Amino acid sequence: MALKRVVPHAVLMAYVAVVLFPFVFVLFSSLKGSNVEIATDPFGIPKSWRFENYAEAWVKAKIGVYFFNSVYLSLASALAAALLAAATAFAIVRMRFPRVGRGIYQTVLIGMFIPGNVLFIAQYILVMNLGVLNTHWALFLPYTAGALPLGVLLLAAFMKSLPGELEEAAIMDGLSSAGLFVKIVLPLTLPALVTVFIVNFLGAWNEYLLANFFISKDALRTLPTGMVGFRDAFRTNYALICTGIVYSVAPVLLLYAFLQKQIIEGMTVGSVKG
Amino acid sequence: MRTALTSPVAYALFVLPTILLYGLFFLYPMLSSSFYAFTDWNGLDDYRFVGFDNFLRALQDERFHKAILNNLAFIGFSVFVQIPVIVLMAMLISSVKRLQRFYKTAVFVPSILSTSVIGILWGFLYEPEMGPVNRLLGVFGIEPIYWLADPRWALLSVLIANAWQWMGFYIVLVLAAILAIPKELHEAAVVDGANGWQRALSITVPLIMPLISVVVMLSIAGGMRVVDIVLVMTKGGPVGATEVMASYMVNEAMGIDPNYGFGTAIALIIFAFALLLTSLYQMTFGRRMEGGWF
Repeated sequence: MALKRVVPHAVLMAYVAVVLFPFVFVLFSSLKGSNVEIATDPFGIPKSWRFENYAEAWVKAKIGVYFFNSVYLSLASALAAALLAAATAFAIVRMRFPRVGRGIYQTVLIGMFIPGNVLFIAQYILVMNLGVLNTHWALFLPYTAGALPLGVLLLAAFMKSLPGELEEAAIMDGLSSAGLFVKIVLPLTLPALVTVFIVNFLGAWNEYLLANFFISKDALRTLPTGMVGFRDAFRTNYALICTGIVYSVAPVLLLYAFLQKQIIEGMTVGSVKG
Repeated sequence: MRTALTSPVAYALFVLPTILLYGLFFLYPMLSSSFYAFTDWNGLDDYRFVGFDNFLRALQDERFHKAILNNLAFIGFSVFVQIPVIVLMAMLISSVKRLQRFYKTAVFVPSILSTSVIGILWGFLYEPEMGPVNRLLGVFGIEPIYWLADPRWALLSVLIANAWQWMGFYIVLVLAAILAIPKELHEAAVVDGANGWQRALSITVPLIMPLISVVVMLSIAGGMRVVDIVLVMTKGGPVGATEVMASYMVNEAMGIDPNYGFGTAIALIIFAFALLLTSLYQMTFGRRMEGGWF
């Protein structure tokens, strides 16, 4: 009986160890003095904790620049997409144009069935024609657009479930449609908005393909592409590369520590509905 | 009184930004792809129509055949290697009381990370001289393996890194379905004298089949789409050993000698393959598993 209880934990602990080991390894390596120390003792704790590596990587690798670019692009496009999707969901679900609404809803949902990289080259040409290649608009616009289908889907479902009496009362009070949307509907939709925002944010934060080809100026790079460039430039300095990995992983893990419930829910719901 | 909800102007203001952005970045690229795919446009010079030449060129290129096979390897690996492990792990997590939340939170972690960081991370783990994978194997007397540089090992190495990234995500998905099964079913089976294995096979597995079917669909879609991890870890090499359709597209169309016509043709082929595989699956296995999910 005791064995029966131990076996599942033993198997699960082994799996968790495989999942978490790379993180521990990278964290230790980032604090080691040299490749030799990593090579001779890959699994051990660093002999002397070289925190200077972090300052060095921040400056040498311009991680600060990539980091800032990623933060503000992800925030901006996640917020823009959440608000635009909310406005659209409000109009098609709550306003009195059901037939137009259904048409828009279905058209937007087609987007969920088109694999992203199928549109990649056509989007590249589009961005080039718009004259925004090599600016942050080249990422902001497709990131925002790409997040719309799922956002509209989730928010429309959520808004459908809101009671109708609320807005009746609000209209009696003389609120316009914009007032109704901002003062009544948005606050009530907040839980779903947070989920949509997080999914959008992680999507933009982690995006690689567009970021790699639509931006070639180093100062405009985001973390995923900046990190790859950094790796290719410092191929031989493993401690420094590991420092870079820690920098790009830490904020996401921190976010995850506080918002794991919303993150897990947002990502899984999104995938299954799509 | 109801003008707030019936004003066409307000309606237009609410939906227009979305429609514009969506039209510009989804519908228009879809249409323009279908146009460019029949030309030889390279982004600079005038283009001319080449009929189905682009499609034929791709479908006759052995490197593209290799890429298609590699996409199928991604799907096969997900379905036949990952899914059994995913279901097993989800069942184990659902069976324990203590630490259940910890397991769920921990296994999910890799799926929130960027694929490019995971590619870099695993490239480091696979490093031939001092990477921990070879160091560990060295303990058992195994000579260093050049995981990403050796065509015999490169694809498997990328498949494992990819599995490491996504398995936890699916474990959590399957776990939610298992935990949603009414407790009474298991209790009744216990009364009937069924042991743990019997209950797992005759209650849990049939009841989560609809979700497993969804996971298979997602694996097919994911296997068709995969590209980031390949570009970051191997760029499709060595000698095409890890090339997938999308990396082939990127390498052919966006290289030093760009060919957007050819690239968009490949994009449409990828799209057609994805549709074909998903509908094939739906018509054969998928339908049988459709259950009362949602």
